[in-house]
Amino acid sequence: MKSSKKWLIVFIITLLGMFSVVLFFNFAVDPFGVFNSGIFSWPSYEITKNPRSAKISYIDENHEKYDSYILGCSSTSSYRVETLNKYFNASFYNMIMYGADMKDVRDEAKYLIDNFEVKNLIVNVYVDNTILFDTLPDRLSYEMPSKLSGKSAFSYYWKYLFMDPRFSYDKIKARYGDEYLPKAFDVFDEESGCYDKRGRDVEHISDLESYYVAYPEFKSYPVSDCTVNSEAINGTLDCIKEIKEMCDKNGINFIVVNAPVYYDYFNDFVLSDLEEFYTALSEITPFYDFSLSTISYDARYFYDTTHFRNCVGDMAIAYIFNDDSVYRPNDFGRYITKENVAQRFEEIADFEPVPKESYSEKIPVLMYHNTVRDGEASGGVNINESLFRSHIKALSENGYNAVTLEMLSDYVNKGTQLPDNPIVITFDDGYLSNYEIAYPILKEYGMAFTIFVVGSGVGHTENYKDTDYPITPRFDFDMANEMIESGLAAIQSHTFDMHQYAPFESEKARENILKFEEESENDYAAFLKDDCNKIREMIELNTNQRVFAMSYPNGICDTLSESIIAECGFTVTFGEPKGMNTVVQGIPQSILEMNRFSVNDEISSQDLLEMISR
Amino acid sequence: MSFNSVSFLIFVCVSVILYYLVPKRIQWFTLFISGMFYYIYSCKLRILYLFFTGISVYAFALILDKLNDRKSILKKEKNAKLLEKNKRQRKLAVFFCCIANLGLLYFLKYWNFTVDIFTDSSVLKFENIIMPLGVSFFIFQSIGYTVDVYRGKYKAQRNIFKFLLFVSFFPQMVQGPISRYNDLAPELYAERKIDFDNIRFGIQRIMWGYFKKIVIADRAGVAVDAIMKDVWSYSGSVKAFSILMYCIQLYCDFSGGIDITVGVAQLFGIRLTENFKRPIFAHSLTEFWRRWHITLGAWMRDYVFYPLSLSKPFAKLGRFTRKYIKGKAGKIIPTSAATFIIYFLIGIWHGANFRYIAFGFWNGALITASLLLESVFIKVKAFLHIDSKKKWYRAFMILRTCFIVFIGRYITRAPRLKTAVLMIKDTFLDFNFADLRNNIFTSFGLMPIDYLVILLGVILILVIEFKQERGIEIRSTLAKQNSFVQWLAIFIPLVILFLFGVLRSEYISASFLYQVY
Repeated sequence: MKSSKKWLIVFIITLLGMFSVVLFFNFAVDPFGVFNSGIFSWPSYEITKNPRSAKISYIDENHEKYDSYILGCSSTSSYRVETLNKYFNASFYNMIMYGADMKDVRDEAKYLIDNFEVKNLIVNVYVDNTILFDTLPDRLSYEMPSKLSGKSAFSYYWKYLFMDPRFSYDKIKARYGDEYLPKAFDVFDEESGCYDKRGRDVEHISDLESYYVAYPEFKSYPVSDCTVNSEAINGTLDCIKEIKEMCDKNGINFIVVNAPVYYDYFNDFVLSDLEEFYTALSEITPFYDFSLSTISYDARYFYDTTHFRNCVGDMAIAYIFNDDSVYRPNDFGRYITKENVAQRFEEIADFEPVPKESYSEKIPVLMYHNTVRDGEASGGVNINESLFRSHIKALSENGYNAVTLEMLSDYVNKGTQLPDNPIVITFDDGYLSNYEIAYPILKEYGMAFTIFVVGSGVGHTENYKDTDYPITPRFDFDMANEMIESGLAAIQSHTFDMHQYAPFESEKARENILKFEEESENDYAAFLKDDCNKIREMIELNTNQRVFAMSYPNGICDTLSESIIAECGFTVTFGEPKGMNTVVQGIPQSILEMNRFSVNDEISSQDLLEMISR
Repeated sequence: MSFNSVSFLIFVCVSVILYYLVPKRIQWFTLFISGMFYYIYSCKLRILYLFFTGISVYAFALILDKLNDRKSILKKEKNAKLLEKNKRQRKLAVFFCCIANLGLLYFLKYWNFTVDIFTDSSVLKFENIIMPLGVSFFIFQSIGYTVDVYRGKYKAQRNIFKFLLFVSFFPQMVQGPISRYNDLAPELYAERKIDFDNIRFGIQRIMWGYFKKIVIADRAGVAVDAIMKDVWSYSGSVKAFSILMYCIQLYCDFSGGIDITVGVAQLFGIRLTENFKRPIFAHSLTEFWRRWHITLGAWMRDYVFYPLSLSKPFAKLGRFTRKYIKGKAGKIIPTSAATFIIYFLIGIWHGANFRYIAFGFWNGALITASLLLESVFIKVKAFLHIDSKKKWYRAFMILRTCFIVFIGRYITRAPRLKTAVLMIKDTFLDFNFADLRNNIFTSFGLMPIDYLVILLGVILILVIEFKQERGIEIRSTLAKQNSFVQWLAIFIPLVILFLFGVLRSEYISASFLYQVY
């Protein structure tokens, strides 16, 4: 009996002790960003675990950096804050929460308006709002802070204090695995609140068939039960109404956008149900409707079947500001009021997307290297003068129009037109022969071309860098400028010094832009960025030309290198010589890692024409 | 308020503290209040069903008590005519009481099922019936009480609140046991001082129950559900694996729940009838069912089997079979028929579904067959010179029983009877061992660590049950160890419960499987 009393005391003390250890551990590590304890803060991880709790914690700490917010479900992430900031002249924070319904949005809007300065508030509506309202499971990843949801604070904090400590342990473990690009555990960029799409937005996009191969879900999109329910519709509308009233009362610029939907999903809804919803919404507030357009009918504008791409988000914002310098199809975007909502539905009922050929082009890109005088040794990547001349002559006679990369970029981003039969002519490395042999021929035929120079070799006519090893001579910037002045040539990057020739290097050679295995991602990123900056400064300083394109040494790249290069402002890049390109208006990824045709001494002009025939 | 919720633990702590704080003569009343609170918290207005049973049985028992008293007087007076009338009245009273309460149970549990059998129309169906917690338990317990009073085994309880406490004692609401009034009432109404041995052993037993329930059973259940959701995409081996996991789940879930029940009662100093006695070591199917859900089997035996076997129609049947069927068969047919009925009832007690009827049939048929073939078995054993007492033969019998139970579990777990049959067929005809690849296991919602936890947990349970089977009292043995070992025996289970049980926050905690029965 006595020993049992002692046992009970020890039991209670042990139990309380264990409680305390778990509670303190979870509080200190705080993987869901609930407590703002500041002991081990890692917002992008916390937001990934639960955007609802962690974003509010983040905003609580950083609200002075922001004055405008965009709210909604995961597709909201495709409205980039950089674009919003530029047009609205504001500092936006993207409050996207996965699986958010309008109740979540209302709760967040109310909290933000009640507590912080808000200039603009954008609410992103999605067709799902007609079927889902207040249906999320009660889980740690979805829980809204109690101060927003109005639920019991005790049970909210209790849940996170007394959760599986493995959640906390995972955060500590993940910290050691954190690298340059986002991993599954830190997919958010805490500064903007958006998904960190650095990796996602550098994937090469070309023709639709290859896209279907990469993302088969678009082709065999399942029919889902999209029976709208009045509870969801009414709940959604009531919440939007409430938000609007709050905004009106506080003088906040309130905007509702209705997100683009993949057509196959859109068709799962009954049109009359949607009409009812759009009509009721237009009676509460006018809104921008992007739900159905030509964009909806082309999978390439979507990351997956429910998430449109950032480039489409940019189009939407440009539409709101009527900025015609950003490409978008004519049928993309309608400003819906209660007066024109019926008309919009007539348009939707008879909607026909414009043919894909009208906003995409098949464009061949030729890759030359060194040109040699007739009679000199050719072979490999060298091509002799007369063969080169016959190539250019054949192109000219067959109606090919060489376009610059600037024109290509404008076609994609601004929606300008390209001449018929466009072709891109490029030279890698920056050989002297490009100036001495190729340039006069190209000038003769009026063909535009781009030379990708290796920065460390520019002007070297005898030796490889500062060694005694011989080098195929390279032109200098005087020659470059002469070519540029003709209006035909452009000089772009082939890296500053990441196309090294191993036998001539004393240390481990950077033969391409990839990371060394033993190198950390962060060190590598610093190195590559430095190289990008060097070549850019060098070319811009010496030629006064904007540097925005790069051909990857040996055509090799990967997601990490590409995303760093994209961060450095390169918007047109060339990868392996794999064939034809399909360039799509409005999709900047269609001019990333572009394919080329490698042209050498073995290819006659006839072969060339056959090779590039569309 | 399920057993594995924090609110239940808080509720138990508060109830126990209150129980020992209040004056001893109203200790029982705090138990009554706790029971009411627990029931209303869990079932809201459905407590009215409980009141219906409680009050009707209370009233009928008083009537029966009076009739019994009168019977004694009439016996003394030797008034045969009035005695006969008294007998009829008593029978009528017990009949009405049983009909009213079994009728309620039938309505709640089987009405819609019956309608489904006889008609496609849903006009007669009550779609919104929500079963009150532990309805089978409290009705069976109350009927047992009525019959016992009818039989004059004990006097009826005159205090309605005390009687309601007997009907609604909260730890046994979820999954029994089905207690007898003469066992439970003295425990419930006793006046007690706090006994720390009871508290300690109670807590230990509760922890053991939670270990089985939330560490093992719920974990195994995740894999079972995952496989069952998509059962046709797997071959026989995976199907068999899911049933094996289900056996583990059910064993741990049910016995764990009983441990918690008994442990909680022990905190109040109340000793409940054991309801589960290591059925894994049963040598035969009959023994298995004597060890599994003991009080249900005993209830069926005392209140159905015996009355049935001794009833006039069965006596007639016995005479008939003895006359026309030669040998042992003629003798055992009435018993077998009663056995069949009992297993049929136990089957449908588990739920309104043909699966459960088939489950009852499976058990009934095997037990009857074993009775019929007993003499054959004895001869075969003699012929093969098998000594039943040898260890290997006992092990064989245990494994054989496990196998039979394992096959029976297909019937209760499959969503439909037909599915169960096809699953069994696939297990034997399309086993395909190669399908049990490493990576398939992780596709069932469990990590390798979870399987390890289940495996080690099952081994631990088997070792402990084996020791208990040999008569070793684990908790008393533990109490004799030195302080450090005793502390470890607190610390390690708590760590395991914390890490692998309580804190598995994103697992959806399964409710007790027996709760709905």
